[in-house]
Amino acid sequence: MSAELVMTVSPDWKELERVNSTAFEFLRKQHLTDECVNRFTMVICELVENGIKYGSRELNGATVQVQIRITENNFTVEVSNPFNASSLPFLHELDHTLQWVRGFQDPFEAYLARMKAISHEAPEANKSGLGIARIAYEGRASLDFFVNDNNTLNVSAVAIIE
Amino acid sequence: MLHIELTQDDATVTVHFQGKSILRNPAEFLMPIVFNTLVKAKGQGKRLVLNFCDLLYMNSSTLTPVIKVLEQARIGDGEVTIRYKKSLKWQDISFSALSIFQTQDHRIQIEGVDP
Repeated sequence: MSAELVMTVSPDWKELERVNSTAFEFLRKQHLTDECVNRFTMVICELVENGIKYGSRELNGATVQVQIRITENNFTVEVSNPFNASSLPFLHELDHTLQWVRGFQDPFEAYLARMKAISHEAPEANKSGLGIARIAYEGRASLDFFVNDNNTLNVSAVAIIE
Repeated sequence: MLHIELTQDDATVTVHFQGKSILRNPAEFLMPIVFNTLVKAKGQGKRLVLNFCDLLYMNSSTLTPVIKVLEQARIGDGEVTIRYKKSLKWQDISFSALSIFQTQDHRIQIEGVDP
């Protein structure tokens, strides 16, 4: 079994409904369990949300590229978007969050720690920062990222198909 | 699209969440609704129920206002129940983790149901 879906997404929040529905339908057609379909849809959407939120929108024609691959044993999603100096704070935060999540033996502990931290934040603080921990815990996915020579940030998540 | 409906009976005020929650900043939209409903429920001596059973999808940002209303109720004297569909694996995984906010006096309850 091997299948691939590639999507080009405008950096517009309204695109997320399309991404969610298209990814869900694609995964459903791969004869995965409902649990895997929901889990992987979440991973894809959380990464695309980050791509739209933190990508460099000021670059003309900037889009978010999404590549989803299903093989017999693995699910992989790669989300890439143009990157420049304005995205640096996000890159540092992403790096820091990934290291932080990896510091926990069980991603569930990272997820709980983040939820506890949110509970103590002011009601008006609206940044959850829960997405990466959720991908690791609920998505049971390994995350990584790199910036290539063309100043494109590529974030990937890989999970075992159970 | 996220659809929210409020119902009440003698003992509870319930916020029903239906559809998909993929708003960019759900807290901005949801926080006033859940906080005001918590105040209203408390004022009437009722329990606030946040019912997610009919939710199809939510992004991680959707959990922020949920977590904050649980904390608000915990440090005050409000009563809140989070209700989700236990047979939906993703809901079970997402919402059962909120059990860390449950209180021993049952003011805050996380309840997986199979309606």
